[in-house]
Amino acid sequence: MPTRPKRAHPAERTVLDNGLKVLVVPDRTVPLVGVAVVYNVGFRSEPEGRTGFAHLFEHMMFQGSAHVGKMEHGRLVESAGGRMNGHTLPDLTAYYEALPASALELALFLEADRMASLSVSEENLRNQVDVVKEEIRVNVLNRPYGGFPWILLPALAFTSYPNAHNGYGDFTHLEEATVGESEDFYATFYSPANAVLAVVGDCAADEVFALAERYFGSIRRRRVPKRGPWPEPRPSADLHRVIRDPLAPQPAFAVGYRTTDPVGDLDRYLIYDVLASLLAGGDSSRLRARLIYRDNNVTDVSCQLGTFGDDAFFVRDPTLLQVIVFHPGTATTGALLEAIDEEIGRLAEDGPDRQELARVVNTSSADLWRSLDSLMDRAHILASVETIHGRAELVEELASRLAAVKVADVAEAAADLLSQHRAVLELQPAGN
Amino acid sequence: MAPNPAKRATAKTAAAQRAPAKRAAPPAPARPTTRPPIGRLVAPTAPRLLEASLPGGIHALVVRRPSVPLVEVRLALPLAADQIRKPAPVSILSRSLFAGTDRHDRVALAGAIEDLGASLDAHVGEDRVILSGAVLAEHLKELLALLVEVITSASYPPDEVKADRNRAADETLIALSQPDVVAAQALRRRLFGTHPYATPIPPPAALRRVDAAALHALHPVVLNPAGAHLVLVGDLQPHRAVGLAEEALAAWTVTHEVPPADLPPVAAPRPGPLELVPRPASVQSNLRMGGSFARLGEPDWPAASLAEQILGGMFSSRIVANIRERNGYSYSPRSFVRHGRAGSSFTMAADVATGVTGPALVEIFYELGRIATLGINEEELEMARRHSVGRFSFDTASLPGLATTLANLAIRGVDLGYLTAYPKAVIAATKQMVDEAAARYLAPSRLVTVVVGDPEVVTGPLSALGEVALRS
Repeated sequence: MPTRPKRAHPAERTVLDNGLKVLVVPDRTVPLVGVAVVYNVGFRSEPEGRTGFAHLFEHMMFQGSAHVGKMEHGRLVESAGGRMNGHTLPDLTAYYEALPASALELALFLEADRMASLSVSEENLRNQVDVVKEEIRVNVLNRPYGGFPWILLPALAFTSYPNAHNGYGDFTHLEEATVGESEDFYATFYSPANAVLAVVGDCAADEVFALAERYFGSIRRRRVPKRGPWPEPRPSADLHRVIRDPLAPQPAFAVGYRTTDPVGDLDRYLIYDVLASLLAGGDSSRLRARLIYRDNNVTDVSCQLGTFGDDAFFVRDPTLLQVIVFHPGTATTGALLEAIDEEIGRLAEDGPDRQELARVVNTSSADLWRSLDSLMDRAHILASVETIHGRAELVEELASRLAAVKVADVAEAAADLLSQHRAVLELQPAGN
Repeated sequence: MAPNPAKRATAKTAAAQRAPAKRAAPPAPARPTTRPPIGRLVAPTAPRLLEASLPGGIHALVVRRPSVPLVEVRLALPLAADQIRKPAPVSILSRSLFAGTDRHDRVALAGAIEDLGASLDAHVGEDRVILSGAVLAEHLKELLALLVEVITSASYPPDEVKADRNRAADETLIALSQPDVVAAQALRRRLFGTHPYATPIPPPAALRRVDAAALHALHPVVLNPAGAHLVLVGDLQPHRAVGLAEEALAAWTVTHEVPPADLPPVAAPRPGPLELVPRPASVQSNLRMGGSFARLGEPDWPAASLAEQILGGMFSSRIVANIRERNGYSYSPRSFVRHGRAGSSFTMAADVATGVTGPALVEIFYELGRIATLGINEEELEMARRHSVGRFSFDTASLPGLATTLANLAIRGVDLGYLTAYPKAVIAATKQMVDEAAARYLAPSRLVTVVVGDPEVVTGPLSALGEVALRS
């Protein structure tokens, strides 16, 4: 079998006195840098009655700080020839930009200013509530399969508020959000000791450490907030819900299985990652080959770890392994679930063959390299893994750790899926 | 609740792994609060290209970029007017191409590709098909062999074709239920009139009529080495990669004479009433305005692209400032430019709450009219110059970005000197040039407008602004 290439971009790190972790990964391939600040807070931490607050707050971080006016963050980054964005996940919020290497200091100035001195005005908050509502209309309310399954499946698979609620938020909750609540959220969760700064690309570690000290060093240290954990026992009975989607032309369903703790027992969690690829990674995977290409009764089937799409390594316990199916309705959901069980059963009985196992390790490893190719993505991926797992180096080790997964491990994980009470969320087009 | 042992273990690991920390002497001095300088604007160095002509007339473009141990592969093939006008067969071909060869059935072929840590698929664009792949660098040769296997011996098993067309029909139903797809189709129809570019997504019924015989007939016409562009970018040695490609692609020969894939040029759209595409009970309206635009490589393209970015092509644009950050009407109001082989087009897009459809359109008209009549200011110009050069650098920084950029330039017939000339032209563009381009391309009188939305609510407000034609 082919060997898996190793690429050493060693991370160098320091911790400022105020607790901010700084991570630098130099790479001189192109004269650009990627910068990310990841805060250790996501929508699992938002208070009850304030669904969507963590994400709304992410928007407020672009609305100005003591030395940066409204819209100026974007203007300064784009004027420097850069780009920027942010995202909110269940367990973290990431802010990132990529710029020509000569503008590194500007990026650090901007990140430091909003970490030190965010200013939230009533007018800006009301404006961003409107913007977020439009974001939700575009991505959820005005399109078919909106929120399927990322909002809808956790709501069924989990029972506690942190794990089950809608991270995009209810309109009422968004509308009720106040400036005072923003200030509290900021004071609690946006402390330097609750953040990781990552800089990757055309830079030197010493230079970045000095700049980080210069811009972030004087930000007051604050207590690291208490956060979770939010464990939930596995369900004690099968969970099933049918929802109607008036905009969807075809039925779909998502199945949620529980995994092991992604952080506390990473090596076991990686077995579930391999299992997900074996089930529905490429076109040769068990479920794709069977349901799409042999039985011809589904339009698409995919399998992933995490609840928010591609966040397998940015998420804490509890989380899900999901199987997502879109189908024309020529087979019933029951029949399709039986076929899925059969395929999982075969893996539980015999395990994968060695070639098949080596194949998914190769594709996962290539996918991983691909995700690290863009400097902006590399910066927020490394900062996110540092935030969740405490070690950004993990990213480059994943390929070899995946390669250590054994046939018997996969069989055991497959058996675990079969033995669980799973959550099945069915989406039916209106009229059915 | 017990503390999470996992998390504590993690924190401990992190501390143990930390390199000896470098700490500044306390207390920390106050942080600087003035903006750091961003450096002089200089044109980026263009990537070093190796160009080669391979047997059969294939144009090869190779760049070494060892950022990650991968190689991106693109094979770009032009489509002729007929194939664009009747898009169902090409659409099925792009799927069934991987449904089996003389050596592998579909699942075995997928397995052989995945064994290399690779992917390979085909994507149909408005006037081209692009076969696109990525592979762990050490397996480039094997991926090229599989690419050629597909090109020279795709067998189109009838049962597989039948299954593919059914899935394509199902996916089309899903696509057509997306309001942005409906809006894009409606705008294309208004923009391009009788040109092949106006052709809508093939309807399910047309897809279900495509059979294996049609694909066998179409295959040599589309997969014709004369006119093909092969791009390889990544962790490779350029001359060796050309050698590999030459060896692998030698088997790809012309089986019969194929006419060149010519297209008529695109004409400017005829202005007319706003077209309202009804979507009853829609909670948003999808506003789209479009017009023809400067083509890549034309002398006024750099200035026109600067005008477009100031209007709506970046976050700090006038449209975002107005529609999103001042009025909260839309999450991502934006403009963009599409370049086809036969011409380029401009689109202004905003998805807005149904209740503010009229006011949002007023603001968009205002911003278009303002930039077309009053032009831009020097501060905006400098920002747009830097943003353009930066965007260009980033578009060509990642492996897939550079590979796709090169494939698209090549298939549009743009001289690759563009990679050096464009950033220089952007830096040299003057306010007068940008003002002229804004007047030429962004004036609302030159644009056509379509709206997808709830006719019961939006017809009234839209009619207050001008003539509305309801599309049935």
